Amino acid sequence: MSGMNVLLQKEFREAWRSRKFLWIPLVFALLGMSEPLTNYYMMDILEAVGNMPEGFEMLMPELVPADLLLATISQFQLIGLLVLMASFVGAISKERSNGTATLLYVRPISFGSFFISKFIVISAVGFVSIVAGFAASVYYTVVLYGTFEVGTLLASIGTYFIWVLFVLALTLMMSAAFKTTVAATAAFIIIFIGQIIDGLVGTFWTISPWKLPLYGVQLIRGTMEMSDYWWSLVMTVVLICVCMSIGVFSMKKNASSTKI
Amino acid sequence: MMEELANIPWAIIAPLIGVQIILVIVALIDLSKIHATNGPKILWVLIILFINLLGPIAYFIVGRKQS
Repeated sequence: MSGMNVLLQKEFREAWRSRKFLWIPLVFALLGMSEPLTNYYMMDILEAVGNMPEGFEMLMPELVPADLLLATISQFQLIGLLVLMASFVGAISKERSNGTATLLYVRPISFGSFFISKFIVISAVGFVSIVAGFAASVYYTVVLYGTFEVGTLLASIGTYFIWVLFVLALTLMMSAAFKTTVAATAAFIIIFIGQIIDGLVGTFWTISPWKLPLYGVQLIRGTMEMSDYWWSLVMTVVLICVCMSIGVFSMKKNASSTKI
Repeated sequence: MMEELANIPWAIIAPLIGVQIILVIVALIDLSKIHATNGPKILWVLIILFINLLGPIAYFIVGRKQS
């Protein structure tokens, strides 16, 4: 891989200069904090907001730590992924449209190492983000509710990371293949409509990348059918590789559309 | 006064305050170095300082002008 180190340094510096390494993890940490806190103080919040009828009583469900992790993950699934995808969907297409790419494409750098260097940096940001998010969520859950088993918790975080890798690979592929706006629309549709479809009729199949976040929580609960889990994991990893190869290919194809 | 301070559950509040302060500081440093923002700079200073948690995030998403 020629020039891989240089490219990696460039990408890391760019991510650092645009403060993405700082604020995206902090957003995830906030999302992670909000779920256990609002659930724990729900009664107080309702009382403070007021307007409750006289003698109103509500039975709060008894939450176990895994429930809170699931709630946190569903926050990540919407807002977290939106932030991640929105900030990285321009990674390749913006360079093409503002002309930075001309400086890079004339050099003898393989498109493969170019794409992979971007992917590594983006997944590093994703990794730091979800670790920060889960750390915040787990901290509050442990303080307010109860403890986790370390092994299954780590497995769950790892599973979620694989899912985030898939999302990022797809985003980067779209970015390589289309202009920024089209790429954003396509990536959002595939990820979010996919989630909706999976939520509506997902009971009919058990193996899909969209199910991975849920499976991660089921690992903690200990109710996971392991063969489904492994097949989904394998499928996701294969899809990541497919996305990356399509991405490299379309990057090569679109190199001529760079603005000079 | 000290009793009231001791009654606050610090284990719960401290991380939130910490994240908030880090976000504000990072956003302000970035704002002072950046060349131009979307909208007047002084407005962003006020937003970052006075809107808890969401202000700095809004600045990073909307306020930074990507050159």
